[in-house]
Amino acid sequence: MSDIYIERPRYTCAQGGAAATVTALPGGIPILHSPSGCAGNFAWTQNGGSGLQVGGYCGTLAIPSSSIQERDVVFGGDGRLREQIENTLKIMDGSIYAVLTSCVTEVIGDDIKSIVANFRAEGVPIIGAETGGFKGNSYLGYDLVLQSLFRDFLDRGVVKNKKRVNLWGVIPNYDPFWRGNLEEVRRLLEALGLEVNTFFLSDDTIEGIRQSGSASLNIVISHAYGLGAAGVFEEIHGTPYVSLPLPVGASATESFLRVVGKTAKVSSKLTESVISAEKKRYYRYLEPLTDCFNDLDLQRYAVVVGDANYVVSLAKTLADDLGWLPELAVCTDPLSDDIQVRLAGQLQNLESGYATKLIFETDGSQVIHHLSEKWPSTGSGRYRNTFGPAFIVGSSLDRELALEIGAPHLSVSFPVANRAVLDRGYTGFRGGLRLIEDLLGAIVAGR
Amino acid sequence: MSYIDLKTAPKREDRLNACIAHGGSICEMAAGKGKKSCLQNDGDRSFTQGNICLLLPALAMLNTLPDNVVLQHSAVGCGSCTHSQNANVRFGSNARHGKPKDGIWLSTAMNETDVITGGEDKLEQAIIEADRRYQPFSITVVSGCVPGIIGDDIDSVVQRVQPEVNARLLPVHCEGFKTKIWATAYDAVYHGIGRTLLREGEQSPDADGLSPYRGLERLPYTVNLMNVSSMGKIDELELERLLNSLRLEVNVFPVFSHPESMVKATQAALSISTCPTHDDYFLSYLEERFGVPALIHHMPIGIENTGLWLRDVAARFGREQDVERIIEHEEKELKAALAEFRPLFEGKKVFISAGEFRALATARLLEEIGFTVVGIRSFHHDHFAEVEYEKLAKSSTEDYVVDIANVQPFEEANLLRRLKPDLFLGHANGNGTASKLGIPTHAIYHTALAYIGYKGVYEIARRLHRQLKNPIYNRKLADNVRLPYRGEWYETSPFTYITKGDAAA
Repeated sequence: MSDIYIERPRYTCAQGGAAATVTALPGGIPILHSPSGCAGNFAWTQNGGSGLQVGGYCGTLAIPSSSIQERDVVFGGDGRLREQIENTLKIMDGSIYAVLTSCVTEVIGDDIKSIVANFRAEGVPIIGAETGGFKGNSYLGYDLVLQSLFRDFLDRGVVKNKKRVNLWGVIPNYDPFWRGNLEEVRRLLEALGLEVNTFFLSDDTIEGIRQSGSASLNIVISHAYGLGAAGVFEEIHGTPYVSLPLPVGASATESFLRVVGKTAKVSSKLTESVISAEKKRYYRYLEPLTDCFNDLDLQRYAVVVGDANYVVSLAKTLADDLGWLPELAVCTDPLSDDIQVRLAGQLQNLESGYATKLIFETDGSQVIHHLSEKWPSTGSGRYRNTFGPAFIVGSSLDRELALEIGAPHLSVSFPVANRAVLDRGYTGFRGGLRLIEDLLGAIVAGR
Repeated sequence: MSYIDLKTAPKREDRLNACIAHGGSICEMAAGKGKKSCLQNDGDRSFTQGNICLLLPALAMLNTLPDNVVLQHSAVGCGSCTHSQNANVRFGSNARHGKPKDGIWLSTAMNETDVITGGEDKLEQAIIEADRRYQPFSITVVSGCVPGIIGDDIDSVVQRVQPEVNARLLPVHCEGFKTKIWATAYDAVYHGIGRTLLREGEQSPDADGLSPYRGLERLPYTVNLMNVSSMGKIDELELERLLNSLRLEVNVFPVFSHPESMVKATQAALSISTCPTHDDYFLSYLEERFGVPALIHHMPIGIENTGLWLRDVAARFGREQDVERIIEHEEKELKAALAEFRPLFEGKKVFISAGEFRALATARLLEEIGFTVVGIRSFHHDHFAEVEYEKLAKSSTEDYVVDIANVQPFEEANLLRRLKPDLFLGHANGNGTASKLGIPTHAIYHTALAYIGYKGVYEIARRLHRQLKNPIYNRKLADNVRLPYRGEWYETSPFTYITKGDAAA
């Protein structure tokens, strides 16, 4: 891993993640305070990486942008921003407006906080976030928008409802399976008798979001994303949170439901009955797969390459649900040491007992070298213990690795250029079934 | 030309007086009225939507270069557009070399510390590491807004590091806030190529300044066919076919051409542009420094324009008689083939949106196959296009709207609700507005599809015929989703937010 550059970054900047997040809110209108090109850069990024999902109600090139020019850099962009917000309110029909700053407007020191606060004081539903690209990547942008939302948009002092929870932790479009992933977890939480606000699904409303301070528990299905926002929420609205790994597949979902059930004070009887019904259904599906699974010898070695959410959760479900052998898991996000430790902890003591090596490497072309270190070819001539049969679960950028070692491949983590994604997700029991379908489907495609 | 001696290419607002904000009409643009007000005093908008900056088209070119690494010097998001452009690199490599290949792009991912302390050291180390790890022929060092605003000098870094690395280093300046005309991208890339790979000083010492690159011979029947990524391989093949029929050899330049082979461009007898929006900057350089004359008049999109383009080429080689025979044969065959599609197109209204030259040439094509043009949006305007507006003003019986706008879908939504066209053609990520209004849409540019030459006319007609046979997807979409504009907006003049320019309606 190089610390002086990042190879083919598998995300965009904070402002890009922030814009995608605002677009995904019901009636959300981003207002970029930036040069003209940032919106287009994000549109093209999603066009190539988000499983053919670009835009939404107000996305891509419809996103208002102050489109500041050289003269604004010299004289300041405050006036231009005020004008842009005023006219945005006249033209764009939104439930919530969010000003998102860029590298340029942060360096020149435009004071968006007071501009946004003035509009809010006049009753405009508007928030602002400082999302300059040099602050970090799209995952940070998601967190910053949620922080502003929780701080400046949610009603304060609303009465807590014991049954109500908020759910977040997957980034719109930078997890191409974001909607399916949220929907399945929402479905399971509802089965536990909880009322769930997910912010970004068609079931969510702006009024529900405004009242989301009434939740008694926040559930962040990530060990890395949206945690700053969880802290802000707790501080301002007094709602505690749990941060749990993205529950992909049967085993992870089972323990996820037990932890959430206990924390949200759901009776263990109800939790166990939900788990039992889901597992029954899950195994009814697997039962008739079993002959072919064995007869075609569908167990595989695997390399998993992905973002902080997927890499551990995919490796775990491969090992613990499917009985595959994920030798190497490669996390392509740049992460702080404490988050790296948390992720590594998830892959210790797997139920299957399988030891997966987790490494942190932002540069995809280096995965092959890590694999050679982990699996040096032994033997010679006709007696060689090669890394195979193998499978690569990663992004579409890992196709070259798959070709190199002659393995089938599935794109799950951003970028997903070669799949169309709508409501598919890999969380929960249903997502576990989808994943098995997609993995095995790739193996038997030529059959 | 002295521009190439400058550190960076000038922006097109300055070099060509190009403009982006004007609401006018075809007759006005053709009569030069638009020119007068627009070119001398560009308008502005007091409400704008985001679009692209010069970095995107620049990367679309640079990512295609074989054996090249694109090193982006900026914050981590700049250049993430490559995720979609990479599809073109894969398809293009497959079409040309039989194997899909991902581009290699890197980002110095400048952080808060770099913004404060400067990013030159980091860039220097990144160049050295990229040279070691990938061993490419060249590294294009592309600057975004951040180095532009904090004052990193990428040219000095490149100069300093060049002796230490094997790769040829090309600095390319793409500081997005510095120009509102994204076509400046082509100048920025050509500038980098001209200054590093085709330097004047690398001609023969005894040359009069008008011979090919040092040690190379003039090729009297080879022409440069300029492609800045606005054509896929399929379109290159069509133009190669037509040029071969004039007994000319073709050197496609610069996309997908190996940086080492770019010197070939100085050997050609003629450079042929397919779009003045793209190439004027570099063609002047090739002409003035290497004696390669240039043609830069027509875009070979549509029947008439393809003929004009071919005639210009033929005249340079004294092949006027050949070309008339070729054109007559081609047109006869094409027109017969188009007959089956024409009844479905006849009288249908179309709105066209694209880069200026492409929009205008495509409008002419659509007229030729039976459509009636009711509106055009050009992404910018400069004087090269005047002749195209004149062609369209002559061929149309009624005046219609011309919106000079760097996309701005809100103006488009307003116009489309009034004009109610039967078909919309727009660029990538630019067809969504029309789609949500239920209008059948088609991409005006895609490197996997044919648009150019006689074959392009037929293939566009064939695709439009297919799409118009069942446009229900967009119709149902319109019944179920809405655009993000207030009702009042549609009651207002579409050009309400254009200010300052003399011609604002």
